[in-house]
Amino acid sequence: MNSPTTEHPPSDRSDGDPKIAVHKLWKIFGRNASSVLGTELQDLDRDAIRERTGCTVAVRDVSFDVLPGEIFVVMGLSGSGKSTLIRCLTRLIEPSGGEVLLDGADIGGYGPQRLRELRRHQVAMVFQHFGLLAHRKAIDNVAYGLEVRGMGRTERYARAREMIDMVGLSGNENARPDQLSGGMQQRVGLARALAVDPEVLLFDEPFSALDPLIRRDMQQEVLRLQQELRKTAVFITHDLSEALKLGDRIAIMRDGELVQVGTAEELVGRPADDYVRDFVEDVNRTDVLTVRWLMRPPRDGEPLDGPVAAPRTVVRDVVPLLAAGSAPVRVVDGDTLLGVVGRADALRAIAEDQTEDATKAAADSAAAAGGPTGDGRS
Amino acid sequence: MATDTGTPQRATPAAPAPPPAGPATALLRARPVQAALLTVLLFAVVFGAYAAFGSLPTRTGLDLGLGAQLDRLYAWVVANRNASPLFLYGFNYLSVGLGSAVILIDQGLTLLTWPGVVVLGVFTAWRVAGWRVAAYVAVTFAVFGVLGLWEQAMTTLALITTSVLLALLAGIPLGIAAGRSQRFYRLIRPVLDFMQIMPAFAYLMPALLLFGIGNPSAAVVTTVYAIPPAVRITAMAIRNVDPGAVEATTSLGSTPWQLLTKVQLPLAKRTILLGVNQTIMLAMSMVVIASVIGAGGLGDAIYQALSKANVGQAMEAGLAIVLMAIALDRVTAAAGDGTRTPAIPERLRLPVLGAGVLAAAVAALAARLAGATAWPAGWELSIAGGVNWLNEALQDLVGDATKALAGATLNWVLDPLRAVLTDSPWWLVVIAAFVLGRLFGSWGTALTGGFAILACGLLGAWEFSMDTLSQVLVAALATVVIGFAVGILASRSDTFAALLRPLLDAMQTLPPFVYLIPAVALFGVGRIPALAAAVIYALPPVIRLVDDGIRGCSPSAVEAAVAQGSSRWQLLTKVQLPLARSSLLLAVNQGIMMVLAMVVIGALVGAGALGYGVVFGMAQNLLGLGLTSGLAIVGLGLFLDRVTQGAARQERTAHA
Repeated sequence: MNSPTTEHPPSDRSDGDPKIAVHKLWKIFGRNASSVLGTELQDLDRDAIRERTGCTVAVRDVSFDVLPGEIFVVMGLSGSGKSTLIRCLTRLIEPSGGEVLLDGADIGGYGPQRLRELRRHQVAMVFQHFGLLAHRKAIDNVAYGLEVRGMGRTERYARAREMIDMVGLSGNENARPDQLSGGMQQRVGLARALAVDPEVLLFDEPFSALDPLIRRDMQQEVLRLQQELRKTAVFITHDLSEALKLGDRIAIMRDGELVQVGTAEELVGRPADDYVRDFVEDVNRTDVLTVRWLMRPPRDGEPLDGPVAAPRTVVRDVVPLLAAGSAPVRVVDGDTLLGVVGRADALRAIAEDQTEDATKAAADSAAAAGGPTGDGRS
Repeated sequence: MATDTGTPQRATPAAPAPPPAGPATALLRARPVQAALLTVLLFAVVFGAYAAFGSLPTRTGLDLGLGAQLDRLYAWVVANRNASPLFLYGFNYLSVGLGSAVILIDQGLTLLTWPGVVVLGVFTAWRVAGWRVAAYVAVTFAVFGVLGLWEQAMTTLALITTSVLLALLAGIPLGIAAGRSQRFYRLIRPVLDFMQIMPAFAYLMPALLLFGIGNPSAAVVTTVYAIPPAVRITAMAIRNVDPGAVEATTSLGSTPWQLLTKVQLPLAKRTILLGVNQTIMLAMSMVVIASVIGAGGLGDAIYQALSKANVGQAMEAGLAIVLMAIALDRVTAAAGDGTRTPAIPERLRLPVLGAGVLAAAVAALAARLAGATAWPAGWELSIAGGVNWLNEALQDLVGDATKALAGATLNWVLDPLRAVLTDSPWWLVVIAAFVLGRLFGSWGTALTGGFAILACGLLGAWEFSMDTLSQVLVAALATVVIGFAVGILASRSDTFAALLRPLLDAMQTLPPFVYLIPAVALFGVGRIPALAAAVIYALPPVIRLVDDGIRGCSPSAVEAAVAQGSSRWQLLTKVQLPLARSSLLLAVNQGIMMVLAMVVIGALVGAGALGYGVVFGMAQNLLGLGLTSGLAIVGLGLFLDRVTQGAARQERTAHA
């Protein structure tokens, strides 16, 4: 199975300038949105604000940085404000407050023309429901962004053809969207976004409308393209496994606020609160936690001739190595020894999983035994 | 209910059940029935009181004398038509321009000669809608010629073309603006609503005032009448464009203009073409009515024939109009849905178009060289005599029956109702309108309804209005009863529905005017043929809405009710009809509005009342009478629409 790729683990993350910096971003829907921000009303919770002003707070004081080349996943349930958040990044929805910096420049101050330039050249988006033009052939859909830039027909067709090949749709250039399957339509959507050669790709739940098998293919496609093209990406999803699979870093969003931002390991290993813990509860930790997370300095007298593993190897993959010999696995990065992981360490990681399951099972049976009046699960 | 069937009560404490309701009490609890009973009670009490304490008061001077004022205005207009700058530089120019446009197109059609027109028409029909429609169009042209109505048909076609072009020129940009701006849409929507509830007849008088009698007036009326659907459907088309596509293309940096031309218009094209189809059909129906203000063509032919009560002649022109309406509908509908358009490879499209135009030109040239520019007289064949003979035979056969039916309706229903309405003190009717408005809608509905009825009196058209109202109520009742029965039948039998569909389709494309012809054939002249025409005219949408409403019920709800053992009658009365309520209410609303429009047109066959006021006012240059009657029609329309719409709205809020 694929281990979650972590291109920029916390330890070796470059502290360079972020590609996108979001600072204290707010989005409030409703007539009197301006009457909420900057007053004491803004500290009330969502329901109270709706009751008092009729406004809905969709994004609430959100700040985060997206580093160049990383896939930053925003995960949350429906209604958590994630789709609004991603639209604020190119002002498809106008933020109510806060700023969005792209390469250090505040896009909030852009006029309509400058904003169009940004959308035409720098940031492109892939949508959940594809948003293809039903009256145009696939190739004309892909070439749309180039067309509105004013690029000539021959040139944009050449580029569009390249993109169609890249997403594996060769031969379907002249198909209309309704002749393509959902997965193929989203490939057109992806090609359309890539065609303008943007620096940043935004994905708004791009695979939610697809069948599970096709979704997996498309996730592979994104990982492959990411490795090839090294774009910065912001990816919205409500699917935790998708988040873990794609995200270099993952932000968990709830009721418009960010609850936790971190790598998959950080979320699974150190959930910030019960909400996140609930979320990651069913995740198999051995598939997510890496040896870098478990490793410790070698103890005195410990044999250091065990098998080696890269820092990003997940626990599940070192178990066979540990089972084959008694020496702890050495975690090495090139020639440097970073630490070791022994049998006990791995077992502990697995055991925590099972302890949790066991506790839960016990609690459930206790609740079930508690009496017929209880509304325990059947 | 468990209590009804006597099954043993279950152990679980049941919620207090409503008292078992038989069909009679259930009917009594229905709001329309309550409202009707209350109104009858109101009238009974007041009449009873008068009977006890003396005679009914004579009608009070409600008339504000607006009619006389308007007559003075008209005198001024006539005196100043060629002096006032408003006319000299405004309406007269417009009038001349429109007249020239109609003449230009008419001349163009004449210049083409009949073979040229036929070739061009058939080619266009083929290119847009395929062989079958093209063959139909060819037959239509042949019928124009054979019946000796070629000239008239071309005039009508020229009028329609002018009006439709103007209506689209105004309507589509307005619709685009309304589709893109919510604020603009909110601004113009009340105007559109108002224009759509205004019966066609009410448009005639103002146009006559400003543009005089003749084709320009007809073109203006037709254009104005046909604009609302163009605006509304274009706005809807733009609004319904996949928001995902709009967002995606915005996210790629489209300018508003690019968004419109590359995304919204292409994606909305089919729906907009549907709007074009609607615009043409409305123009068609108005152009015929506009014969009353001097539009030439087929409408005029019917008008003349009807005024001479010559059913045969009317039938000839009516047939030509029916064929033209269906042809225009089929061709433009095919342009909208595009499935019947022959597939022609892109590189051949221009050559094919060229070939068509060339063929038309050659045909025209050949006809000119051969000197056969007009339809050859030897090819004409009048069916008027035959139809009249048939009609007389029919009268001999069923004349007594129809006369008896007409007499009974007149003596037992229509006259008593009219007597009640016209003999009542005006305030009683206004109060009744107010109460009905409150019962079916809000206080606002009550005020609008009450005021609309009051206005009929203030305009000095009280008696005419009450006469028209009595006709509308009787025809509407008949329409609703028949329409609901047929609609329910259609919803229960797919075969019946399939048989009915083409008939309804055809009926809905016909201009209202032609419904008068069979009505006159059956019932002669008077109020009864107008009522019959109104009922027939209003039936198709009622039947269709009832059928659609019942078929549109959630299948899972129906399945659940069947699974619980409902009989077919129970299923209908307890599940399907209640679920379809909003469709049924809309059916009532539509039915009543169409009945009103038709009853007024019925003045042309002697139905009298408000429609007569309009026609007589126009014929005798009595602007006061014509315009006040027209406004009173609007008042009645407003009252009837608001009250029935109020019921629908109440329904909606109750479910929200």
